[in-house]
Amino acid sequence: MFITQKHLSRRTVLRGMGATMALPLLDAMVPAQTLQRKTAAASRVRLACIEMVHGSAGSTQEGIEQHYWMPEKEGADFDFTMILKPLEPLREYVTVITQTDLHAAEAWAAAEEGADHFRSSAVFLTAAHPKQTEGSDVRAGTSIDQIYAQEFGADTALPSLQLAIENVDTAGTCGFNYACVYSGPISWSSPTTPTAMTIDPRMAFETLFGEGGTAAEREARQRANRSILDGITREVARLRSDLGASDRNRLNSYMESVREIERRIVRIEQHNASGESRALPSAPLGVPDSWEEHVKLMFDLQVLAFSSEVTRVSSFKLSRDTSNRVFPESGIRAPFHAMSHHGSVPSKILEYAKLNVYHMSLLPYFLEKLRATPDGDGNLLDHSMILWGSPMGDSNVHTHRRLPVLLAGHANGRIKGNQHVRCKDETPYANVLLTMLHTLGIDQPAIGDSTGEVAI
Amino acid sequence: MRQLVGAALGAAVLAAPLAASSQPAAKRPTLAVSHVVAPRSAAALNALLNEYCLGCHDADGRAGGLSLQDFEPGQADKQPEIAEKMIRKLRAGMMPPAGAPRPDPASASALRASLETAVDRDAAAHPFAGAPELHRVNRSEYRNSVRDLLDLDIDVSALLPPDEMGRGFDNMADVLAVTPALVQGYVRAAGKISRAAIGDASVAPAMTMYTVPKVVNQMRHVDGAPLGTRGGTSVLHNFPADGEYTFKLALYYDFLETLYGQNLPANLQGQEIEVSVDGARAALFKIDPNIPETKNVLTSPRVRIAAGPHRVSAAFLAKFDGPTEDEFRQVEQSMVDISAGIPGLIALPHLQSMTVAGPFAATGVSATPSRREIFICTPATAHDETACAQTIITKLARKAFRRPLTDADASFLFDSYKEGRSDGTFENGIERALQAIVASPNFVFRFERTPSNAKPGANYRISDVELASRLSYFLWSSSPDDQLLTLAARGQLRDPAVLEREVRRMLADRRAQGLVDNFAEEWLRLRHVREADPDTGLYPEFSRNLGESMARETKLLFDNIIREDRSVTELLTANYTFVDEVLAKHYGIPNVQGSTFRRVAITDPNRFGLLGQGSILTLTSLANRTSPVLRGKYVMEVLLGAAPPPPPANVPALEENVENQRPLPVRERLAEHRKNPACAACHKMMDPIGLALENFNAVGLWRTVDSGAPIDPTGELYDGTQLDGPVSLRKAILARTDAFIGSFTENLLAYGLGRLIDYRDMPAARAVEQDAAKSDYRFSSFILGVVKSVPFQMRKADDVVTSAQNGAAETARRAKNR
Repeated sequence: MFITQKHLSRRTVLRGMGATMALPLLDAMVPAQTLQRKTAAASRVRLACIEMVHGSAGSTQEGIEQHYWMPEKEGADFDFTMILKPLEPLREYVTVITQTDLHAAEAWAAAEEGADHFRSSAVFLTAAHPKQTEGSDVRAGTSIDQIYAQEFGADTALPSLQLAIENVDTAGTCGFNYACVYSGPISWSSPTTPTAMTIDPRMAFETLFGEGGTAAEREARQRANRSILDGITREVARLRSDLGASDRNRLNSYMESVREIERRIVRIEQHNASGESRALPSAPLGVPDSWEEHVKLMFDLQVLAFSSEVTRVSSFKLSRDTSNRVFPESGIRAPFHAMSHHGSVPSKILEYAKLNVYHMSLLPYFLEKLRATPDGDGNLLDHSMILWGSPMGDSNVHTHRRLPVLLAGHANGRIKGNQHVRCKDETPYANVLLTMLHTLGIDQPAIGDSTGEVAI
Repeated sequence: MRQLVGAALGAAVLAAPLAASSQPAAKRPTLAVSHVVAPRSAAALNALLNEYCLGCHDADGRAGGLSLQDFEPGQADKQPEIAEKMIRKLRAGMMPPAGAPRPDPASASALRASLETAVDRDAAAHPFAGAPELHRVNRSEYRNSVRDLLDLDIDVSALLPPDEMGRGFDNMADVLAVTPALVQGYVRAAGKISRAAIGDASVAPAMTMYTVPKVVNQMRHVDGAPLGTRGGTSVLHNFPADGEYTFKLALYYDFLETLYGQNLPANLQGQEIEVSVDGARAALFKIDPNIPETKNVLTSPRVRIAAGPHRVSAAFLAKFDGPTEDEFRQVEQSMVDISAGIPGLIALPHLQSMTVAGPFAATGVSATPSRREIFICTPATAHDETACAQTIITKLARKAFRRPLTDADASFLFDSYKEGRSDGTFENGIERALQAIVASPNFVFRFERTPSNAKPGANYRISDVELASRLSYFLWSSSPDDQLLTLAARGQLRDPAVLEREVRRMLADRRAQGLVDNFAEEWLRLRHVREADPDTGLYPEFSRNLGESMARETKLLFDNIIREDRSVTELLTANYTFVDEVLAKHYGIPNVQGSTFRRVAITDPNRFGLLGQGSILTLTSLANRTSPVLRGKYVMEVLLGAAPPPPPANVPALEENVENQRPLPVRERLAEHRKNPACAACHKMMDPIGLALENFNAVGLWRTVDSGAPIDPTGELYDGTQLDGPVSLRKAILARTDAFIGSFTENLLAYGLGRLIDYRDMPAARAVEQDAAKSDYRFSSFILGVVKSVPFQMRKADDVVTSAQNGAAETARRAKNR
């Protein structure tokens, strides 16, 4: 089962379901539970990019001296520091990369100073400096997950999956004349197109696997949807003639989305017609109350999506910079954002480090599930590349230096793991993104301010 | 001077036909006092600028990025963007900054009046209409439009991704982007909606789960549930077919797998929970507190239920009343986090979720409200099907597309019908046509067409039918109804008398709730009080229910101002409010029982208006303390329309109180903060405002002590006004009524237009507020002002390219991209 094992309420509900009407109903909702493995040759690397927002205690001067994040020892068999500790059981899969900086997240003009919260997320996977605007003329860069999806995602039902836990802050304008989208999506399918994130696990499930009680029902609905989309295409052609230029542009982007959905349906149909069945648990029931449970459910969905290869690419935003959420499971009662501005006081940096540990403690849940899922000649974690990091360094003073970054998974043997790669100080973080792209088989000379690869 | 202002007004409101409804400029009554000031010579204004502004805003200093070195106040119309910045600060009285020498009020008013006059005069000659981006309906508009089309309530948050916000509103066309996820959402939603509306006896069983968040208090009666129950949940569930359904309940357990509320005093033992459908009991469960979580499956027997919406409640039978309640009522957050470990807390069982599963053994689909909307005819024979289908499709599509149907629309939709019909029955055909209607770009976008004779770059009047949609989405957040659409289709809506009559009719309609749920909610940031999560240990009296009630209180005040057409300033001064039991208890208002809200008079002037309401006070607080900074910022940004700039990056958070150290009141901690000169400039403005409200704690309760020290609410507003508590702050804001009304108007205009507005729109906003001033700021006068304004009635045609040229250019661009 891909169900959170620790959380009682959810488990109870599902058991409750199972005990009475269970299988017939669940069976009707999902394809048969048969494991079908891919051959090794067909296995392409799964990519998950996870943003934990607003830096790390390990990126402060104090944190570096105390080794909250950065291990003392370089290379193999490095020491798992306080914040990295939860990952130790997965040592052979972990590659920690230290001392990289994200120049593009910094202020490049006086008017941009202090606007880090409203800019950073858009930089995390793009290494592009976002244009300061409140209007629709947003511009950042294409994110690495989207570059990978566009290059190799055509044969999956869904090129990529974007998940998030919290809505974009809705308080007034997003500040410093930055559009709110810069602090929301981390995936950008083009420099001007941020990609919406799904917060509801159930919606994500239906996006991945379609809706309908039975396979036949799902198929019939897909067919109806295709004919609806055909109709939309014809209608748009008629509508275009008497609209202004900007309306036409918007209609164009609408049509591109329509075609994208048509392609997805075709791919899902092909997938279904291939006779391959997928192993799926029950559809999740909605957004859970608890942050931790929500995160775990989203991890479950990514494991599912990866194992069935409905998609191979995901991005996942765990919170937002300005969240003042309290994480009761961490045992720390202070709100997140206030804590992250620790005033460079050592005792408070330590407190923040403890919160960082808590957030990190959720990553093994994902990694262990991937490791426990057989895939071709190994397991899913062998065939995955997972980026975990933050576009912020020292959250107190909003630096983007010495970012907390790590990779997990062996990416089909292309990343050896059990490594601490300590870069020369001031190495662009973009080098990490470039290295990832190259590892994924994308021949791109540079991204952002990259100067070369990181020796992972 | 007065004549100038009057003339500017007359012209800024629409020209010929509409002007008939306004009085001639010369006969206008006197405007609000502050507008009538003796004009000053250009030299005098320049001297004023030199003396009070240029010290910081010169070419070298450029304070706030603004240089007034080359600014000529006498020719403000040449630099309207700068002029508008100045007007905004002058209105709020925020410039010159706190502590700096100030001109006498008359001079400041003269400067402002002169700037406004110059800019407005120019705008009257060249009114700015703007051109909203292609407007797609947002989630709440989508939900309302479906409700009005099919009498069907849908959970839109489960169907569509959230909308991006602009300027605090989620209806700004500029930022409502279209993504594949959204298109997928539309297509999927169209399928679900058409199936739900028609009903389906062959549908496979499915589950729908309704969860009750932990932070919801379950001690009291829940709205909608049968009387005599407490807690649980009550929902309007749409049943897809006549058939059998079961209900499953899950209760909250703690982490040791013991039932929440396992150990109860004798008088509270024997808890029972009931499932009811439309008030009739469907199942009753005795709760055995010793059954472990894994075995405690509360599943009802199958119940036969007819298709359509029915109210389903799962609620505990109330076993207590009166004095017994006192044992635990001190803790409103009755499902407190276990780790809080509050001694003496008696928790009763709490519902965690209710699930509806089915239908089993479906027999058909009875008449439902949606089916009554759809099947206005029934074909007696196969021969009648075509005509009936056309009748149904025409009615639905006209309403959905918000315009008369074209032949092309009709034939396209009929094709969809035929496709569905050939796969099954007549109803399948209608369902497919309905799916095509709801998925259509004509439904999800509000198109405004450029007439072929529009002059490039010139303003033109939008069509009556387009105006009908602008109106209905402004006032109702939904599509035009039949009457509005019929008037528009006949070309009568442009008649000012008809338009005004329709606006008044629409404001009186229940759908005007859209203004409360969307405009008021977003302008006043009420969503944040729903999401507020005050620390349970510090504020045990807070629960999610209380947060909901607080938001409701504010919305009811706003609603009352709409319904009774009161002055908008009553938002600040109302000596009445609306409470239910939970809120009344919070405020200490006696004798209010039950979950129904009622109007009560307020005698304590500290509680008058928004600044005395729990909602505003809570949403501007942190989880563990008040934040005078947030409160100050809220007042400046929301109520006075002049937000302080965001803080620089390297600002440490305030020191939190730590155990075993002397706790410091917020005031003292803030004072530390303000020693830093980089912070002081803005905090000298924000903090005194917030400190004047310090007697209200983080959940809006009155207090006189903070962390052991008596509250000191005194301070000095940035303009020198002495503050000593909420009453003085309210008076200070009322002394700046212009700024408050300006902020309200500007936000209403942006919301009404559904686009981001900028300095070019400010003359139109001023025209609205100056008109409203004449009717004592009655709510309807603002609405009418916006509706009659140039940007609402007109649209600017594209600057250069004609449609044909544009088409060619675009083809070339697309070819190049390929």
